[in-house]
Amino acid sequence: MRIFEPHAHMFSRVTDDYERMALCGVRAVLEPAFWLGQNRTSVGTFVDYFDTLLGWERFRAQQFGIHHFCTMALNPREANDDRVNADVLAVLPRYLEKDSVLGVGEIGLDDQTPKEEKFFAEQVQLAIRHDLPVLVHTPHRDKKKGFERCIDILKESGIPMERVLLDHGNEITIKLTRDLGCYSGFSIYPNTKMDPLRMSKIVVEYGVDRMIINSACDWGVSDPLMIPRTIVKLQQARVPDADIEQLVWKNPIAFFAQSGRLQENDLAWPASADLRETFEGNSVLRGQDPAALQP
Amino acid sequence: MTDHVPDLTGHAEALLPDGARTWWNQALARARDEGPEALPELFPALRRRIGTTGLSAGMFRETPYLVDLDAWRACDAAGHVLLEAAGSHDGPATDLFLRGDLEERTIVLKAMTLRPISPDTIALLGEVQRTNTVRHVEAGVLDANLAVRALEAGGPMTGFSQDDLHRLVLKLAFLDLPVARAYGVLDHATAELSQMLEDFAQEREAAGRPVWADTWRFLGRAAIATSRERLAAGLAHAQPEVRAAARDGVQAFGDTDLLKQLDA
Repeated sequence: MRIFEPHAHMFSRVTDDYERMALCGVRAVLEPAFWLGQNRTSVGTFVDYFDTLLGWERFRAQQFGIHHFCTMALNPREANDDRVNADVLAVLPRYLEKDSVLGVGEIGLDDQTPKEEKFFAEQVQLAIRHDLPVLVHTPHRDKKKGFERCIDILKESGIPMERVLLDHGNEITIKLTRDLGCYSGFSIYPNTKMDPLRMSKIVVEYGVDRMIINSACDWGVSDPLMIPRTIVKLQQARVPDADIEQLVWKNPIAFFAQSGRLQENDLAWPASADLRETFEGNSVLRGQDPAALQP
Repeated sequence: MTDHVPDLTGHAEALLPDGARTWWNQALARARDEGPEALPELFPALRRRIGTTGLSAGMFRETPYLVDLDAWRACDAAGHVLLEAAGSHDGPATDLFLRGDLEERTIVLKAMTLRPISPDTIALLGEVQRTNTVRHVEAGVLDANLAVRALEAGGPMTGFSQDDLHRLVLKLAFLDLPVARAYGVLDHATAELSQMLEDFAQEREAAGRPVWADTWRFLGRAAIATSRERLAAGLAHAQPEVRAAARDGVQAFGDTDLLKQLDA
């Protein structure tokens, strides 16, 4: 089954992960800009990170047939940091026009501070101005209240709810989001937040309309194969293949196609890398085809 | 006196896709009104708004420029027009390249080949020298005479010297790109460059790998101790492109015995 992985921090993963994802059916990956495991102290480190998401990570993914997209934003954690917050917002507009940028994200709330709310609201306005959907990070602490506050800010902004993906949901938050008209996202982890079995129960209860699942794989204990693992649980729960395909392929494409920069036809075939090229002077290929591309 | 900038507006607008006219008019107006500050948001959209249809406009020959517009796309021409409309010769092109994606970088480099030599040109030739993204080398120095214009603009004054040109030619050799597409470069052959290419050729031969065919052209034009021997061997080489390059080199070299072999 083809998979569109709509939330994976591949910047933190090794190249073997791309190969394993490709072998499990991942055809496309979307990488939201986020915190990097430690705080940054100048805007230049954000700019270099953004450029990596547009260039090097795309090249790395393409070697394994995986189309790579991203969303750009000042993340809520670092929205609290005056060393970087305003400067990052100032450089965002040019990045929001790039071809492979399909949305604004991760924005939202983390510790639920006034500064987070300010930069969240400002970035929703940026999304409206650049005609892009938003990927919203919701707090891992005091989650229900955080979801409610995110929803209030989004409603005040005027952005259409179908252009909103409220991520990191669970059994409690689905009750808040299912009738809003937004997309509901669930990040599946090996031990925390949401797991494949719990996710299969949510799908059985609520269906797959505007539901999106992801691995959110990052720097911590996480697994880039959580969508394939969840597919197994969904099949065991006798969810029809058509519904699973909608959940892991059609829904994320429909959501990010609202950017006007993605069509399902673009993903009809695996990505291809021009293997005569190295990337920006980096001779990582050394003339070799990655194993996943070999017949 | 500063060189003029050719106007490619007609080429860009002739290929505007359906529905792109409004965006293009707004983009041009923003560039004119806001200057270079408008460009970072306009350049990323050029490929998807204007498209990649080839210009099919033939060779542009207007002193000091020599550029094959058949190697240009509609979005390249549009980028060139926007840079000029923004009214600044220095600064924005380098920024657009450094913060650009692969397409933007290609567009910026193409545009530089039809703009006067400036500090931007020198900075971007430096980027071309450091990249192994082949299409950026092609966009910056092939199908155009940019490298030679940069060299002839004054070397030390602009920062692109004969040494830089030598390194650029070695880059073409490393990537197996034909020097014939870097217009005028072959006219700047030197014995030092020939020796660099000869050393590179010997490394390749020791490794059992092919040698850049244009090596023979340089060794014929700027003689070094091994030129005659290499040219003679080149005339009988198994690869047709090496034989052709060797014949070209022999004609420039002017050795009577070798010239007789051409006639034989």
